[in-house]
Amino acid sequence: MVFDVKIYLGDTMAQISYSLGKLVLPLSKIDLDKRAGFLFIFPAVLYLIFLSVFPFLYSVYLSLYDVKLTRLDKKYFVGLENYLNLLNDPLFLKSILNTAILTVSSMAIEIVLGFVCAKIFLSLREQRVGQVLRSMSILPMMITPICVGLIFSYILNPTLGIANYLLSNVGVEPLSWFGDPSVALLSVILINAWQWTPFMMLLMLAGLVSIPDSLYEAAELEGAKWYHVARWVELPAIKDVILIGIILRVIDNLKLFDLVYVTTRGGPGDATELVTFFAYRQDFRFFQVGYGSAAAVLILLISIIITTIAVRYLRRMQND
Amino acid sequence: MTKSNNRLAVIAALFITLIFTAPIIWMVLAAFKNISDIYAIPPVWIPDFSYLDNFVLLLSENWQYLLNSVIVTLGATAVCMAFALPAAFGLVNYRFKGRNFLADWILSTRMMPPIAAAVPLFMVFNTAGMLDTIGSLIIVYAGFNLPFAIWVSMSFFRNIPKEIIEAARIEGCTWGQTFRTVALPLAKSGIATVSTFVFIFAWNELLLALFLTSREAKTFPVVISSFSTVTKTYWELISAATIIQILPPIIFTLLMQKHIVSGLTMGAVKN
Repeated sequence: MVFDVKIYLGDTMAQISYSLGKLVLPLSKIDLDKRAGFLFIFPAVLYLIFLSVFPFLYSVYLSLYDVKLTRLDKKYFVGLENYLNLLNDPLFLKSILNTAILTVSSMAIEIVLGFVCAKIFLSLREQRVGQVLRSMSILPMMITPICVGLIFSYILNPTLGIANYLLSNVGVEPLSWFGDPSVALLSVILINAWQWTPFMMLLMLAGLVSIPDSLYEAAELEGAKWYHVARWVELPAIKDVILIGIILRVIDNLKLFDLVYVTTRGGPGDATELVTFFAYRQDFRFFQVGYGSAAAVLILLISIIITTIAVRYLRRMQND
Repeated sequence: MTKSNNRLAVIAALFITLIFTAPIIWMVLAAFKNISDIYAIPPVWIPDFSYLDNFVLLLSENWQYLLNSVIVTLGATAVCMAFALPAAFGLVNYRFKGRNFLADWILSTRMMPPIAAAVPLFMVFNTAGMLDTIGSLIIVYAGFNLPFAIWVSMSFFRNIPKEIIEAARIEGCTWGQTFRTVALPLAKSGIATVSTFVFIFAWNELLLALFLTSREAKTFPVVISSFSTVTKTYWELISAATIIQILPPIIFTLLMQKHIVSGLTMGAVKN
């Protein structure tokens, strides 16, 4: 991340070199002394233990019990029964499948469309009109997720939505976007992709601007077609940013909740049941917190695996 | 690029912009329509913008929840930064065994799905009698954004030349003074960026607010979600509330777009 610290550095630098000139002390040891370092870091670590380690351990503990949210004092130890039940629960398995389908397909759309958009805005990056349109195109990704869900519930409403009205004008039968089990997941995927394609676009744009014009010119001289350029010039430049985008989006999709909460509520039937929504319903609709916690622990284990890969990668990128 | 190619690119860019903004605009227009116009087919394209009844109705009954959201978000941002900045400064300047491990662990907590913490936190706040209070939400939102804030703050403390820190120490500043009077002012613009991100993340949050609030401390997203029930959806309220809710993120996106990529990738991608 580049910050314009240089503005402030001007005066300070002058001051520093002056004070350094006066002193002949060895400067090698600038590490915080033990006590100060501890005081700086410890409060935040303690905070994070309270908000992540403790809840995790507590979830694991609860997942071994049959316990109701409404009667927390009555716990029955059941061992791994909750986990075994989960793995035999068709709804939970469906929610894993749906989450996987949602993650893979929305990311495929985001990458392909994001690349096309990035190419278009790349060619316009020197022009004012291109910059203005790009700023407007990236609005979806920071908007409150439930608002995104509601915006599309309004547009895709089967009877009064504008989408079906526009489709009927070109002779397409009205669709039940969220009501038809074979369409509902697709609708959620498309909305998800709508919100996050701009993110992929910005990532790829950041990679594409790093390609020097001379590489394009050389490719043109060699008589390379556009797909040669895409494969041998552009892909290598954006490979890393795409990978980062994929990692972060996988983690976000595992957490996806708000969008489904306001559009389909997991339905119709189990058509759009996602893992986070499943756990939410167990906990706060059926009050089965033991069972819900087991689901949460499994979700967490999946995220930990992905996170381990992600963290290693992000650290490498940040230190470059 | 040839002229016709350029025109084609502009048309394509206009089309892309339309796809990503039209749905938002359509909801914004609905906020200025009365109920029958919201449901009208064929649609009423341009509403009467002086019709503000939806906003009046919405805010007269729900202004205190909007206020909750503002207080929770500002409070969480302040608490989060108060913990994150010293930690980031310490992690950059204090070398010790396991430093990288600690930094990685902090980052990995950012990836934790909130659902995995929801029930335990519910129980803790239930025991402490803090359910449905603004304080509990501030604590939780500050904590959930802490890894992000620490990690990204580290990247701009790292940009401060070591010599400046050394000089301050030699001049006799304690570590606390070096942090306050030297490092913080130098990282000012970075701190502004990170705080704004934390603000937006907290502003947008729904899941944990659903768990931890019921009446008094409800945030605006919880209220908005309650306008959509199984039997009836109050589009006139939803559209007005949506405008208010998405205004801060939109302003933020337009002002901070240079930092969005690096922010959302935890500083891994620079632009």
